[in-house]
Amino acid sequence: MDFFTSFKICGSGLEAQRAKMDVVVSNLANVNTTKTPEGGPYKRKVIVLTAEALEEGFESKLRDALKKVQVESVVEEQEGLRQVYDPNHPHANEQGFVAYPNVNVVSEMADMITANRAYEASVTAFDATKNMALKTLDIGK
Amino acid sequence: MKPTAVRGEWIAPASTTRKPAGEQATSKESFGKALTDALKDVNRLQIEADQAIRSLEVGKTGSLHEAMIALEKADISFRAMMQVRNKILDAYQEIMRMQV
Repeated sequence: MDFFTSFKICGSGLEAQRAKMDVVVSNLANVNTTKTPEGGPYKRKVIVLTAEALEEGFESKLRDALKKVQVESVVEEQEGLRQVYDPNHPHANEQGFVAYPNVNVVSEMADMITANRAYEASVTAFDATKNMALKTLDIGK
Repeated sequence: MKPTAVRGEWIAPASTTRKPAGEQATSKESFGKALTDALKDVNRLQIEADQAIRSLEVGKTGSLHEAMIALEKADISFRAMMQVRNKILDAYQEIMRMQV
């Protein structure tokens, strides 16, 4: 079943966009978190995706050409922490400043929409592939 | 005349490979075997889809899209199998209708 190759790639795309959504949601939830177990405020997470070769079921020519997407890692952005003067805050430093996360809600929303649309694109590709397979079964009817 | 020429071309390479005498008997059986294998494959995909849905319902592992993909795989392979069945039945009925 050769169509299953497309399904596999679509599945990896869905998985990657879902993982990206997890990261965006985590960033949005922690937009005002000033303390983490590692110390310091929450730092914005960014997902890193890589293209991976499909491991099995391929002609050797196709083996290098077709790639599925995989989540390589989730990295933290270190710069851009917001310093807010609030001496009464329990997490304030000696100067009375509290470090807030470097999460920009607007850009997170943009990332969220991007992930959503990319997910939808993968679903559409999946449906199109499925329709192709079903059309193939109509041959000779 | 043309179709036979084409047929001849296709048959020629197979006969040059010089299969042993016993090969023909096994190749006759192999259709049934191929059918059984295909059925097993379809069944395996059905079981996989079943397991994917079950693990999703139980809520232990497995993502929604993996389950859906497993379902679609099972669906398509089942439909393909149905087409094969229809073809076989058509051929059978065609033979049964034959005037003797």
